[in-house]
Amino acid sequence: MTEHTTKPRYGFLIDVSHCIDCRSCMVACSVENDVPMDSTRIWIKETGVTGDFPNLNRFTAPYHCMHCVDPSCVSACTVSALTRNEDGIVVYDSEICIGCRYCMYACPFEVPNYEWEQQLPLVVKCDMCFARLGEGQQPACAATCPTGAIKWGKYDDMLAEAHQRINEHPDKYIQHIYGEEENGGTSTLYISPVPFEDLGFPIAGTSSPAFSNRLVTEGTPMVAGMMLVGLSGAYLTIKHLKEEAEKERLEAEQEKATQPITEDK
Amino acid sequence: MLQKLLHELRTLPKFIYVLAAITTFGLAIGLYRFYVGLGPTTNLTKAFPWGIWISFDLSTVALSGGAFTLAALVYVFQFEDLHVATRPTVLAGLLGYSSVLVILLADLGRWDRFYNVFLHPNVSSALLEVSWCIAAYSLILLYELSPVFLENSRFKWLLPTIKRFTVPIVIVGVTLSTMHQSSLGTMFVIMSPRLNPLWYSMLLPVFFLISSLASGISLVIAGANISYWMFGRSLKTKTLSKLAWFLPWILGFYLVMKFGELLIAGELGLLFEGGIYTVLFWTEIIVGIVIPIILFAFKQVRFSRQISLFGALLIMGGVILNRFDVTWFGMKPVPGQFYSPHWMEVAILVGVVAGVVMVYSLVARFFPVYEETVAYSEPSVEAKHLDKLPLVQKQGSHAVGD
Repeated sequence: MTEHTTKPRYGFLIDVSHCIDCRSCMVACSVENDVPMDSTRIWIKETGVTGDFPNLNRFTAPYHCMHCVDPSCVSACTVSALTRNEDGIVVYDSEICIGCRYCMYACPFEVPNYEWEQQLPLVVKCDMCFARLGEGQQPACAATCPTGAIKWGKYDDMLAEAHQRINEHPDKYIQHIYGEEENGGTSTLYISPVPFEDLGFPIAGTSSPAFSNRLVTEGTPMVAGMMLVGLSGAYLTIKHLKEEAEKERLEAEQEKATQPITEDK
Repeated sequence: MLQKLLHELRTLPKFIYVLAAITTFGLAIGLYRFYVGLGPTTNLTKAFPWGIWISFDLSTVALSGGAFTLAALVYVFQFEDLHVATRPTVLAGLLGYSSVLVILLADLGRWDRFYNVFLHPNVSSALLEVSWCIAAYSLILLYELSPVFLENSRFKWLLPTIKRFTVPIVIVGVTLSTMHQSSLGTMFVIMSPRLNPLWYSMLLPVFFLISSLASGISLVIAGANISYWMFGRSLKTKTLSKLAWFLPWILGFYLVMKFGELLIAGELGLLFEGGIYTVLFWTEIIVGIVIPIILFAFKQVRFSRQISLFGALLIMGGVILNRFDVTWFGMKPVPGQFYSPHWMEVAILVGVVAGVVMVYSLVARFFPVYEETVAYSEPSVEAKHLDKLPLVQKQGSHAVGD
């Protein structure tokens, strides 16, 4: 179980107050991963226009895989196409996936998407551009973001910076780092001037459903073993009881048959 | 040879041809789905990645639970007078599972590499357990049914060997069924953020298992009574009443567990919240559980073909509604997004169901499926009187070594 709970090595820090909805991150993601714009692995969540004229507000935030510490998708995936690598990145093996789409329903952040229009479709999900990381580059979205809303680096640095920013500007940010505890912790961290529910972020609990899932699935072989023993025991016991009853019945019949003779004596 | 076949085809009842037409249409749409992918043929979206196919799979597996419930009662717990019901039930179970496997294949985006389930297993996945168990259990059902096909063939000599291993195989089969019936519930344990709390529970695997027992027994009762009116062959009402006796207990246990769980989770308030979820939940509970409990508590009902058929259908309907609630209706709504099945999804489903009914009818026509059951000379006369009449037992009705 330890493999599920190691601390992530890399992380994103996404500052909602810096996002200007330019969507360069989406273009960069589309180019990097060679996918059309409508199936990029990153998209924009927004509050919509709020407030009364002339004090109108609209907040936007780039949104992609949170790279959970204990990812539900990894726990759910039928064929281990989704795994969490040693850097804490949740990666997808397109050669293994059978397309059951269980990950899409399991993910509490509703992240995985699907190539619905393909003949043989695959799951669409951010992999932190781990191919680029190997070449010493940043993920495409972080490298492209013109305002620095998407920052990428060592997880510990990102978390420290998130705390620093909300502590230094308590007037500017709400006192909550989305992803610090959500779903048992994630590699992607958000700070925001507006509550995350307003941005349409899912309200996730502090423990991962993957934990409850393992609690049940890992107990299954034991239950199966007990069933086998129990059923065999039940079969043998009932068979034995039936045979005993049959024997007794036969003996009783025999006795009845012999009784008149003894009486005659 | 060919002439004989043509003659055989000509003597088949008309409805077989209707079913064959529907199946062919469904299969054609199915081929189209494999050719163009899921996008043009389904209404599945990112918000609703699972649709009516999954709801069908879960309902069908629950109903096919009749096969393992009966096998457990007959072979493990040795209720021998129930033995006569095994063949029709196992055949129904096998065809149910086959239809699920076909639909699952159509549902998989990468159906071309379904075998990765065996090559790259992820043991913490409930869906893996389900797929392994269903694959293995289908083979076991085939084994349990094999005497039906071998009895009048030149492989007759295999029968004693098959019979010798029946009990251990059945025990493995019952275990596998218990596992996957519950694992189908486990699949939703990970979906706590998605599934409405009226249905979400850590105990879903237990609920699914218990309800599959109830719907499985109901399938046997309903099947026997329907075949009484359709083919004039059935089980004695005395045998059926024995099965029906279990129902109030199983359903009552389910009811206590369900409300106990809601009470402990502090979610009783949801029961009176109003709205679509409350309505769906109470329909499930009252129609599928409370009314059947009351009905089957009466001895007269257990011995009546009409009313016990009605009660069994209510239970099956309740369990099907429950599976649809868990997989579809109870999923968290996404603003502005609704799922309703594409007509092609429905066409493929109807095609597969028609195919299954057709194969069942054909197998029952050409192989000794109902041989062990009781033949009623005049199925039109009311059941009660008939049960007292001398029964016409068909010749050669004895199963292997029974």
